[in-house]
Amino acid sequence: MIPMAFSISAIIFFASRLSPIDPLNSLISPDAAADPTNLAILKERLGFNDPIIVQYFNWLMEMFKGNFGYSIQSGQPISEILALRMPATLELVLAALIISTTLALLIGLIAGANRGGLTDKTSRALAAVGISVPDFFIGLALLNVLAYRLSWFPTGQRISPGQETFLDRLPHLVLPVATLSIAMLAVLIRYTRNSVLDTINRDFVKTARSKGLPEWKVMWSHVFRNSLGPVMVLIAFRLPLLVGGAVLVEAVFQWPGIGDTIVEAVTVSDYPVIMVVSLLIAVAILFASFLVDIAKSILDPRVRLGATTE
Amino acid sequence: MVGFLIIFLVVTSAIFAEQISGYDPNLMDGMSASMSPSTDHLMGTDQLGRDIFSRVLYGGRNSVLIGVTASFLGNLIGTVLGAIAGYLGGKLDTLFIRLSELFMTFPQLVLVLIFVTFLGQGVSNVIIIFAITGWMTTFRLVRSEFLSLREEAFVEADRAFGFSKKRIIFRHLLPNTMSPIVVAFTINIAIYIIAEAGLSYLGLGVPVTTPTWGNLLAAAQAPVVVEQYWWLWVFPATAIIVFVTGVNFIGDGLRDVLDPRQRTRGSKSTFKSALKEKLIGTRERNS
Repeated sequence: MIPMAFSISAIIFFASRLSPIDPLNSLISPDAAADPTNLAILKERLGFNDPIIVQYFNWLMEMFKGNFGYSIQSGQPISEILALRMPATLELVLAALIISTTLALLIGLIAGANRGGLTDKTSRALAAVGISVPDFFIGLALLNVLAYRLSWFPTGQRISPGQETFLDRLPHLVLPVATLSIAMLAVLIRYTRNSVLDTINRDFVKTARSKGLPEWKVMWSHVFRNSLGPVMVLIAFRLPLLVGGAVLVEAVFQWPGIGDTIVEAVTVSDYPVIMVVSLLIAVAILFASFLVDIAKSILDPRVRLGATTE
Repeated sequence: MVGFLIIFLVVTSAIFAEQISGYDPNLMDGMSASMSPSTDHLMGTDQLGRDIFSRVLYGGRNSVLIGVTASFLGNLIGTVLGAIAGYLGGKLDTLFIRLSELFMTFPQLVLVLIFVTFLGQGVSNVIIIFAITGWMTTFRLVRSEFLSLREEAFVEADRAFGFSKKRIIFRHLLPNTMSPIVVAFTINIAIYIIAEAGLSYLGLGVPVTTPTWGNLLAAAQAPVVVEQYWWLWVFPATAIIVFVTGVNFIGDGLRDVLDPRQRTRGSKSTFKSALKEKLIGTRERNS
C-alpha cells in the first residue's frame, strides 16, 4: 500500500512537470515577466533550479504539511477549495451509499432466497436494463418529472438563498441521492443475489436446515453472513467516491462537490487542482483496499493478514 | 437472438442515415426551431431547427465508431501486453501487473478526465484515451489464460521443435485465447459508448461539431432543455440504452457459447434455463 502510494504520487508529480503549461506564468505579472532576470530570481526562489528529485520530495513534504498548492484559475489555496467542496460530496455519496447498500442487500437476499420468484425476476430484469442506462440520464429524467413537472423538489444546487439549516437543505439532497442510489443499485443487487445463491447450495446450509433451524435463522445467520464477503469488497471499492465525488450526478444537479471541481479544473486545465484531487482519490482507494483486507479477516477467520499462503 | 437484431437495426440505420432521415443533420431551419415530435420531424427539432431524428442517426454512426475503435485498440494493447506478461513472466510480468493495478485504482471517468487535461479533446484523442484507460481487463484475462496454457503439452512440443517465442505466442497460443478476448471486446464497446456519452455530456469529449449521442445529450446541460424540450435528450438517451442493452446481450450470449467455464456458478441449469439466462442477461460490470 505505502510503495503504491509513493509511486502514484511520483507519477502524478512528473506528469505535471511534462505538462505544457508553465506554472510561473500565473504567478508573475506580464510586466515583470518581460525582464528575464525577474523570472530567474523567481525560479531560484521557488526551487525550480533544484534537481527534480529534490523538487519531488519538497512537494511531498508540503503535501504532508497540508499545503496542497494553489489553483491556477482562482489563485485560491487548494486546501480551501477542498474544505469548501468536501462536505457536499460527503453528504451526497454517504447517503447514497447507505441507501443503495441497504436496499441492495435486502433485495438481493430476497431474490437469492427465492430463486425464480417475483422479486428475483423483477430485480434481474431491472438490473439488466439498469446496467445499460447512463446514470446521468436517470438524473435528467427525475429532474424533468419530479422537479419541473411536479415541482416536488428543487431543480439543483445544494442550498437555496436564505435557507441554512440541514432541514432546509434536505429537499435538495433527495434527487441527487436517489439518482446515485439507483445507479449503484443494479450491479450491487446482482452481486448480492449471485453471492447468496452461491452460499445457499453449500453443505453447511443443508446441515443447518437438517438441524431443524427455522428458515429465517438459516437465512440470516448462515447464508447472509457468509455471502457478505464478496459484496463487502464491492462496497469498499465505492468508498473512494466519498473523496472523488460522483462526477456525472454532480454535474446534472449542479451539486458543488469534488466531482464538480474536477470537471471545472479539467475544462480550464487547472492541473494543480487535478493533481491534488487525483492523488487524494488514489490514497482513498489504497486505503479502501486495506479496509477490504481487514474486513475479510473479520468475516472469514481463515483469512489471516500477512499470511503467506494464497 | 434479440441482441443481434437490435445491433443489426441500429448499425444499418446508422449506415443508411442519408436515406432514412430525410434531413441534413446540420441543416439549420429557423422556421421550424424547437418543435416537438411530429410526423414531419419524428423526434422534433432543436433550438437551431436541426432535425433530431437525423442527428440521432448520424450521431449513432460516430458513437458506434468511437466505441468499436476504442474497444479494438484497448483490447489490442491488453492482448499484446497480456501475452508477453503471461508467456515470458519474470520482471516484465511484475511491471505490467503493477501498471494495470495503477490504472485500475482510479475510477474510469476520473482517469479519462485526467488524460483529457493533458492530451486535449477531439475524436481521435477520445479514442486514444479510452484505449489507454481500458486495456486492463483484457490484459488480466489474456495473462491468466497464457499462464495456464504455457504449461500445456502442445506448447512444450512447440518448444521442442525450436519455434521462436514470437511464433509460439502469436500462432499457437493466441488463437486459443480468442474467446475471452472477443467477449471482452463486445462488453467494452458498451462501456465506451456510455463513457463517451458521459464525457461529451460534460462538454469534455468530442467537439460539438461532430454529432454523437453524447454530444446530443450535452444539450441537456441547459435547465430549460431539461424542463421543456424533453425530446432533445430522451431520444438520444433511448438510442444509447437500446444499443448498449443489445451489445450486452450479445456479450453474454457469446460468453455462454464460447466460454462454458464462466457460466453462472452453482446453478444446475437445464437447456431452457440457460437459454432464459441468455435472453435476460447476467453480466457483472466491475464499477
